Amino acid sequence: MKSVRDIAVLVVAMILQATFLYRFEIAGIRPDLLVAFVVYLGWMRGPIAGTAGGFLVGLIQDLDAPGPLGLNALSKTIVGFAVAKAGFRVHRANAGVRFAFFLFAMLAHDVVYFAAASLGDLALFLKQMLTIALPSALYTALVVIVILALVENVWKRPLLVDET
Amino acid sequence: MLRYLFTRRTDWTVFVVAVSASLTLMLLGPKSQARTVWFLQHTLLAPAEIVVGWVDRGVAVYWENQRLRQRVARLTIELDETRAERGENDRLRRLLHLAERHPYDLVSAHVVGRSLDRLGGSLALDKGDAEGIEANRAILTPDGLVGRIERTSRHAARVLTLLHRDCAVAARIERSRVDGVVRWEYGDRPTLDLLYVSSQEDVKPGDQVLTSGLGGIFPAGVRIGTVERVGLEPNGLTKEIVVDPAVDFRKLEEVLIYVPSARGGTVPADFYPTAADSAAADSLRRAAAAAAPAESLAARALR
Repeated sequence: MKSVRDIAVLVVAMILQATFLYRFEIAGIRPDLLVAFVVYLGWMRGPIAGTAGGFLVGLIQDLDAPGPLGLNALSKTIVGFAVAKAGFRVHRANAGVRFAFFLFAMLAHDVVYFAAASLGDLALFLKQMLTIALPSALYTALVVIVILALVENVWKRPLLVDET
Repeated sequence: MLRYLFTRRTDWTVFVVAVSASLTLMLLGPKSQARTVWFLQHTLLAPAEIVVGWVDRGVAVYWENQRLRQRVARLTIELDETRAERGENDRLRRLLHLAERHPYDLVSAHVVGRSLDRLGGSLALDKGDAEGIEANRAILTPDGLVGRIERTSRHAARVLTLLHRDCAVAARIERSRVDGVVRWEYGDRPTLDLLYVSSQEDVKPGDQVLTSGLGGIFPAGVRIGTVERVGLEPNGLTKEIVVDPAVDFRKLEEVLIYVPSARGGTVPADFYPTAADSAAADSLRRAAAAAAPAESLAARALR
């Protein structure tokens, strides 16, 4: 049942990402729901689901990306695994914890992504981290918090729950 | 050993396998990467693109409806003016014995999907094989060149925009007629690089960059962008030229597919409005946006 729900969430996230979110761009920055989904998967479903999900989502994204094949797959694999290993087990309902967790996970994703993409060009890497990664992570973390709150409010059940 | 890994360290094993697979994909040569992408797109993404197209079409219809309500009011006023101008145009055309030219056709299409990647690079259109659209057709807007069609299915087409590594365009500086190749290089997005221009050539910031028509995919004379910065490559032999694209790729909703006629030809210079001709530019942009799907802009413009 959880797998079906996760796949449904992924499909919705992909549709929103491809069709709707560009309308909410601010200065060229738009939320990246697919990274957020991988973080959610790793956080809630553990390292295997996080890693496998991260790899598959990244691969799908790579098929549509202007950069080299495998770049998104690599960064999402690493972030899916790392999030599951380092994830907070408690206080998942706290908005501040959620925001900080998604923010740092997205920045970690972008460190891998832009480090591999810039091929050792430190100036380019730093510029992309400042102009793309940081605003994108802030925007996405904010959007994810709002979406989670809305869905939980409508559904009357928490999506991110503490481990017992 | 393997048994131990899969039973005791399953999470690490999955991680190592996934990272290895990712690195292997990254290290593949360009041709192998292209083949892999083609295979995966035709197996994984084809059904998803259909669903995405349906959903976006619904959303687009809503927004389009809002825009069209305002446009109808404006166009009603403009229609009367256009009727009067058309009569005058016909009279002048007859006087000058100008035959109507149809060197090309432009088919309008809606953008129904965008790249899943943050950096963009591709679009999905709602026209495909069934509408006579083929791969490697140029995609334009009244502002300039968008890219080319990479592949088509029955009612959809995937477009590589100029902001994709696989979309290189033979280009020419309008003022000095210097040739080069425009290509997006990973880095300072969303700008383009004009490559292979000798350090001796005459290129200045502010120069207009147009397609040269070499290569056969893109018609000559289509605006690509404006030279933003000119420098010298570290090798000292060629110029480093940064081009600001004429098209805002993030806001594309309707585009025009260039379909060359049997007689061939180039896009007339007056198709692309100049800064001094802002009134004509606005009129053309509105006409492109309002063009009915089955009716080309060229047919409307020449009617």
